[in-house]
Amino acid sequence: MRRSTRQRLVRLGFYALFVAVVVLVAVSADWERLQRSFFRLDIAGEQFPDIVVIAAKNTVVYTAIAFVGGLVFGLVFAVMKLSPIAPYRWLATVYIEVFRGLPALLTIFAIAFILPIALGVRVPGGAVGAGVLGLVLVAGAYMAETIRAGIQAVPKGQVEAARSLGMSPSRTMVSIVLPQAFRLIIPPLTNEFVLLIKDTSLLYIAGTSVTTKELTTFARGEASTSSNATPLLVAGVLYLLITVPLTRLVAWLERRQARAR
Amino acid sequence: MRRTALLVPLAVAGLLLSACGGDDDTTTPTDTGGSGSGATDLGLISDGQLTVCSDIPYEPFEFEDADAPSGYSGFDIDLVQAIADNLELEVVVSVTGFDALSSGTALEADSCDMAASAMTITEERKANITFADAYYDSLQSLLVPEDSDVASIDDLGGKKVGVQSSTTGQIYAEENAPEDTEIVEFPGDTEMYAALQAGSVDALLQDLPVNLVHVEDGGFTIAEEYQTDEQYGFALKKEGKEALVGAINEQLQALRDDGTYDEIYGMYFTGE
Repeated sequence: MRRSTRQRLVRLGFYALFVAVVVLVAVSADWERLQRSFFRLDIAGEQFPDIVVIAAKNTVVYTAIAFVGGLVFGLVFAVMKLSPIAPYRWLATVYIEVFRGLPALLTIFAIAFILPIALGVRVPGGAVGAGVLGLVLVAGAYMAETIRAGIQAVPKGQVEAARSLGMSPSRTMVSIVLPQAFRLIIPPLTNEFVLLIKDTSLLYIAGTSVTTKELTTFARGEASTSSNATPLLVAGVLYLLITVPLTRLVAWLERRQARAR
Repeated sequence: MRRTALLVPLAVAGLLLSACGGDDDTTTPTDTGGSGSGATDLGLISDGQLTVCSDIPYEPFEFEDADAPSGYSGFDIDLVQAIADNLELEVVVSVTGFDALSSGTALEADSCDMAASAMTITEERKANITFADAYYDSLQSLLVPEDSDVASIDDLGGKKVGVQSSTTGQIYAEENAPEDTEIVEFPGDTEMYAALQAGSVDALLQDLPVNLVHVEDGGFTIAEEYQTDEQYGFALKKEGKEALVGAINEQLQALRDDGTYDEIYGMYFTGE
């Protein structure tokens, strides 16, 4: 047997295995029970339009606020972490370690309940405001490290060239280093965005009202009311409808940029 | 303390039942020879064990208790324990989030035989899960800080009231609070109570016994109590648990008849 023939046969075997596994799963699954618990069309239909115009909308809005806020926090703390002034570095390190190390759920809980009890500090926007601030703090900690890595990945020669042209250190950072750093960190920032979309599901712990529910909380309530898990599945599909086009878009942007380089 | 107080009446009840339960029903404890076969008749997920899902803690309905046979106590759990004792079954408690219980998922997936988790019987839920006979008439109440100017549900206009998602309390608040009340939903009593202490909400509307636990902590008082026409029931899978539902209903009636129900009720709700 020729080597190419053998390779083709082996590949055929793998295709056959794949098909066999898919068929096996499809045949052995209890479709009727599955359908009864998770794919009830009538219950799925009842979720609309609220699950989109309230829940999915809120998820996107909270994510956008948390991402922009996190980006600002991240940028500030990344620059602080690289600062020549020691106390700034310490502060940045403490912030990053604390909020990267704490589960997001606990951070949200702390902002929503511990802060007002201990200090009487109340975040504007009520429960949602507190929850989103918690997400901003968590996202900021992750992004600070990402941005720092991006800044450090910009070749030193760039800084030296800018400085020798007479640019001040801050001008160098803003117009030479950061633009190149951000280009490098688009993939990890996309990752952070997608993580944030899913982390908004933790906001329920701070308390929600009819108009402030995000996707998961909405679906959990509906699943409980109707005693059927179908709403959770609808929410899952909506999450994918939000995240997949977004990640595809970023992948396309990346490819375009790679060509332009 | 609670536990020992309970064991005596339970043992007595068990004796009484076995003494007078001489009819030919397969689920009475006189049928000692066939606890194994009796268990299979009931369609249990594991022989000889009644596996109970519950969202714990929700004091006083369910909470951890190292001295209890199943490791948990509370009104729901003690009732289930009494039922299981009569059926000669061992209670195994599986702590499960309320979502998985009220959506019926844990039951459909056979994670447990029944859910005992202070669950309200509603028409909507009945379409997808089976409830045993009601075992508790839901009493709701409004918990406010001692210095609050909220004296009744009508004073909630423009204020925030905390409720637990998908509970009788939420339904009651939605139906009875003034239009401009902001109803804030929380996943559980822990968060609701924290929110009330933090001043994020002005009042809590939930089960009276749960609010009474907070009154004991001090600083808070019950402004109002509400009779609702809602009741709690043990939840079971829609299909395949008919025998167990029958056995549970029969035992619930027996516990009411012989006073065990009142004993357990008194222990948790009327402070006797």
